[in-house]
Amino acid sequence: MTTQVEAKGPVGMAMMAGVAGLVISLGIVFSNLMSSGHASFNTGSNGVTWGLPVVNYVFFVLTSTGLTFVASLAMVFGFKEFYPIAKRCVWLAVVTLIAGFASLALEIGHPFRMLWAIPLSFQYLSPLNWMGVFYLAYLVLLLLKFQKVNANDWDSSGSRTLGIASFVAVVIAHGTLGGVFGAMIMRPMWYGPLVPIYFLLTAAVSGAAFAVLITYLTYGSAGNMPEKVRNLMAGSMSKVFAAVLAVVILAVVSRTVIGLWTNADGMQVWDHVVASPWYWIEIVLMVAAFLMLVNGSSPMLPALMVIVSLFIGRYEFIISGQLVPLFKGSWVPGLIQYTPSLTEWMTTLVAFSIALAGWAVGEKMLNLAAAPEGKNS
Amino acid sequence: MAKWGMVIDLEKCTGCQACSTACQMENNRLPGENYQDVLYYTEGKQPTPTLKWFPRPCMHCEEPSCLHVCPTKATFKTADGVVLIDWNKCIGCKFCMIACPYGVRFYTDEKPLIEPNIKDVFKGSGDLSWNPPYKGPQQDNAHGVGIQPNGVVSKCTFCYHKISKAPAGTANLTNEDEATREFTPACVRTCAPTARYFGDLDNPNSEVSRMISSKKGTRLLEHTGNKPQVYYVTGSGAGGGAAVPMGRNGINKV
Ligand code: SF4
Ligand code: SF4
Repeated sequence: MTTQVEAKGPVGMAMMAGVAGLVISLGIVFSNLMSSGHASFNTGSNGVTWGLPVVNYVFFVLTSTGLTFVASLAMVFGFKEFYPIAKRCVWLAVVTLIAGFASLALEIGHPFRMLWAIPLSFQYLSPLNWMGVFYLAYLVLLLLKFQKVNANDWDSSGSRTLGIASFVAVVIAHGTLGGVFGAMIMRPMWYGPLVPIYFLLTAAVSGAAFAVLITYLTYGSAGNMPEKVRNLMAGSMSKVFAAVLAVVILAVVSRTVIGLWTNADGMQVWDHVVASPWYWIEIVLMVAAFLMLVNGSSPMLPALMVIVSLFIGRYEFIISGQLVPLFKGSWVPGLIQYTPSLTEWMTTLVAFSIALAGWAVGEKMLNLAAAPEGKNS
Repeated sequence: MAKWGMVIDLEKCTGCQACSTACQMENNRLPGENYQDVLYYTEGKQPTPTLKWFPRPCMHCEEPSCLHVCPTKATFKTADGVVLIDWNKCIGCKFCMIACPYGVRFYTDEKPLIEPNIKDVFKGSGDLSWNPPYKGPQQDNAHGVGIQPNGVVSKCTFCYHKISKAPAGTANLTNEDEATREFTPACVRTCAPTARYFGDLDNPNSEVSRMISSKKGTRLLEHTGNKPQVYYVTGSGAGGGAAVPMGRNGINKV
């Protein structure tokens, strides 16, 4: 049997904050969508097509991807010391995936039509079609896996198969998401066969950061953690986190250098990217987090810094990829201007609130600290 | 079956925008959402900048990236080579707007370009985004023709409601010929200096085919592999006037 570990962290407060955030943000989003539709977004045919809600979507579904990677360390690859956070990571993968989907649904013109039009038409050429297929399969597999784990079935062959299947599904799913951007040769800032790999790396670091931060939130402090969790956080988790972060820093820097160097039309947006203070905040946060991790400090603050940095990075990737105007409008601008509207920011709050409240509900009701017999403290 | 295509002679285009205006009237377009635009831009720096312009409809690509990315097959290509949108199937995901290299697609639920918002002045009923006092005779949602409904994407249809009625075997659709006048796209009909030509690209004797071969027709952004069915002739861009815009490397975007 597993023991229910008393969560001493601010779980109740997180739940209240999440629910309050959800009520406020959904209230604002729905009332604005009812009254002015998507005109309450600052996106436009002559401007940025995919705005902040898509940034939220990519941020959260890749976070979900990364959380599944972390859970898979124990459940697929047999690194048993990760068991004490595995169940929590599976649950977090579910709620962050839902958070991402919710933000996307608020962005799409006909979200309900989507439910029949995509499966019935099945355009096999479209990365978006495959993204739908695999993220849906992933969600179903995750839920089934969670159900098994929740019934304390960690090691039966069915449970193991589900773990492996959801890992495989999400590797493919995030690859199709990479294809949505990486296949767009008309938008050189996005284009490239390695975009799925870039997403894989950044997803992993995103998952690691969330796993760390939420573990700290659950227990309140390292002192409150069961010994195995504490050792994991200070040991292997910090190391994995630091190692993946290092590779991500390299990937971001190399994208930037190549972006600045190349003369291809469309890549001039990189001058704009590095001229923004946000880019430098992104870099400084990541590098500082890495240095803190290798110096052995608590991974909690680095996790928070990396989450902020990654959100900036997602924004930069998705928005900047659209700033070079194609052949639109009657007077061609140098670069397109875009600032998200209040309604768009509220979709961000919707997504974060779903993730926060969803986690807290799980923490209170689903015994997320459970681990297989003899493998937990 | 014809493969409809267009040729735009940049040497003749005066940048008057009659095409854009005719298209707005024909297809009930809102300000800033013109299927057909003439893009103005300056090239070169002081003291020798030149004012240039570039007329740009949907290219009705042979390999339309907008179609390839559309998850619902709302974007489709007709047997006569026209790329259309089925508004009953479009979910408004806007992936096609991302994937079209030529920026010719429009989502209508966005901030109005000018105030008062014309959509509020002439409020639409049901699904339709507005209700203009003058309407074309056609409303064909399955082919993306007529008033744009909310939550979907629209674009130039080559005036499908006209060209689809042309008698089989027609090589040229032109204003000059009374027999084809009614079937000719609005922009082609209205172009005062006749810079626009429309016809069957598969027919070697059509005016468009002959112009493409004799005047070395070029297509925009060939590196994308979209293979437009709209060709540009002449217009090297020297000395100003209508021209294909230059990229960052100083080479025309062909
Ligand atoms: S120009 Fe754009 S919208 Fe038109 S067919 Fe080509 S890719 Fe599609
Ligand atoms: S917005 Fe409509 S036409 Fe465009 S890709 Fe999505 S479903 Fe297809």
